[in-house]
Amino acid sequence: MAQRLALQRLLSLPSRGPLASQSRAFGTSACRRSTFNVQDGSDFQDRVLNSSKPVVVDFHAQWCGPCKILGPRLEKMVAKQEGKVLMAKVDIDDHTDLAIEYEVSAVPTVLAMKNGDVVDKFVGIKDEDQLEAFLKKLIGA
Amino acid sequence: QAHKEEDNPEKTMEVNGLPSVPDSYDYDLIVIGGGSGGLAAAKEAAKYEKKVMVLDFVTPTPQGSSWGLGGTCVNVGCIPKKLMHQAALLGQALQDSRKFGWQFTEEVKHNWMTMTESVQNYIGSLNWGYRVALRDKKVTYENAYGEFVGPHTIKATNKKGVEKLYTAERFIIATGERPRYLGVPGDKEHCISSDDLFSLPYCPGKTLVVGASYVALECAGFLAGLGLDVTVMVRSILLRGFDQDMANRIGEYMNEHGVNFIREFVPIKVEQVEEGTPGKLKVTAKSTTGNQIIEGEYNTVLLAIGRDPCTRKIGLDRVGVNINEKTGKIPVNDEEQTNVPYIYAIGDILQDKLELTPVAIQAGRLLVQRLYAGATTKCDYVNVPTTVFTPLEYGACGYSEETAVEKFGEENIEVYHSHFWPLEWTVPSRDNNKCYAKIICNIQDNERVIGFHVLGPNAGEVTQGFAAAIKCGLTKEQLDGTVGIHPVCAEV
Repeated sequence: MAQRLALQRLLSLPSRGPLASQSRAFGTSACRRSTFNVQDGSDFQDRVLNSSKPVVVDFHAQWCGPCKILGPRLEKMVAKQEGKVLMAKVDIDDHTDLAIEYEVSAVPTVLAMKNGDVVDKFVGIKDEDQLEAFLKKLIGA
Repeated sequence: QAHKEEDNPEKTMEVNGLPSVPDSYDYDLIVIGGGSGGLAAAKEAAKYEKKVMVLDFVTPTPQGSSWGLGGTCVNVGCIPKKLMHQAALLGQALQDSRKFGWQFTEEVKHNWMTMTESVQNYIGSLNWGYRVALRDKKVTYENAYGEFVGPHTIKATNKKGVEKLYTAERFIIATGERPRYLGVPGDKEHCISSDDLFSLPYCPGKTLVVGASYVALECAGFLAGLGLDVTVMVRSILLRGFDQDMANRIGEYMNEHGVNFIREFVPIKVEQVEEGTPGKLKVTAKSTTGNQIIEGEYNTVLLAIGRDPCTRKIGLDRVGVNINEKTGKIPVNDEEQTNVPYIYAIGDILQDKLELTPVAIQAGRLLVQRLYAGATTKCDYVNVPTTVFTPLEYGACGYSEETAVEKFGEENIEVYHSHFWPLEWTVPSRDNNKCYAKIICNIQDNERVIGFHVLGPNAGEVTQGFAAAIKCGLTKEQLDGTVGIHPVCAEV
């Protein structure tokens, strides 16, 4: 998508207020520790592949409507697991190599990763119960 | 880097006196430009198991705009244009709807940001879709600026400045065009072009559109339809190259529906009066027929005076590809081959060919089929239908009236024409004498239909079917013998 518009979103100018604050609304400290945005390939290596805890990776895009619904919902369910699972967010336009490496075609795509391996995955929106089951399976297995 | 399996004996003869050619190539085909033509050609070549690379790079506009994979059509052309045109039409439909019984009390207003974000979201999904498609078809894609540095060799520079060299047996140049600037003080600093308009992060406000191309009129049309104060500054005629009678009807309609026209003037200076988003600009213009000078103030100045091919800075001189020095266009034979046998070109950059997405796609696909699948079909540039999405849409296929007269002689052509009043326009009391259709027939050839022109809603949809009929050699008699569908505009 056009770069100027994407930049404006990042800078969260007033006109974008309501939506921009949505993902930051879950500002509980537990949530902030367990969810992070992947910065680059080596950040992904460190915090996802080498993570001692299981990680759900949320591949999303600025232009994707469903992603904006799934993102906060997933963050909330991850926070409920009280630190047993972490969540990494990857913007596929910023980190296309990563998205291609993990064969992401459509978004949102969520991968469940343990010890550097993909052990589960889903594409599209899920409701809270489905997400809870997905996370519990990842933690439990 | 993998190497090509077999050597190509032709390569030693193509040298044009330049230094030695590599023995084997990195790729079978490198396509420079990831737009309509480039992507179609690349995906087609991959079907035949060829090793293909696509290089696509967008040099940012003077205002800083840039975009993703897909070329002009997807990012700053047909797609956002049609969506914004639709936005404007919906505004009109809302007004009409009251006469059809819909009741709403709120005043209807338009939010530029909401529209632009929706349009850009869609474009973002297309950009991603193209990347996935290339990956699925195993076409290598690099977001890098490609230029020739020697025979069969190209240098790709990405946005971080990292350079890589690649070689290929064949190349297709599909670099497209970019908007032209006026060359007057203040143009690059203060004016925007269509490259900027569709992602403008603020409403353009009171706008001056400079130009009379279809880009200018379409943009002026939808901006006015969204409720903005729009003026079009025209140097001479409207829609050069199109049937002039139809062009003037379009202009008249736009004028009667709120678009101001300043005819026979060109801007000579653009100054910023106030900063802002949008700011205020002062435009000074001079008459083309005398010494009169006028001034005007606008929030935005949109330049749509033409597009120039991106062929000057891609090293064509280093491999000996001829270009038209004046226009930058590349002359090719009827197989899209340049004067250098292993270099081909498609799309908007071609000399004397139509600048349309479907033409580029068709040319790209057929070219690749000829190269790798033994096909012989050449791209047919005759009787290509087209549509201008001005507020009153105009669809055309074949000759304009002027060109038909010139080619066949006035006495040998017969023009059948009619005004029509779309049924949907009757109730809301919209114009009853603006929609218009005409066909031009060649009397000497069985009254064959050689030109089709329609001005009215959904002109594009209407024209497509008639284009197929014209390709089959439609005659007036056959047309008369076809029963109409009622009540639709096309039955006329």
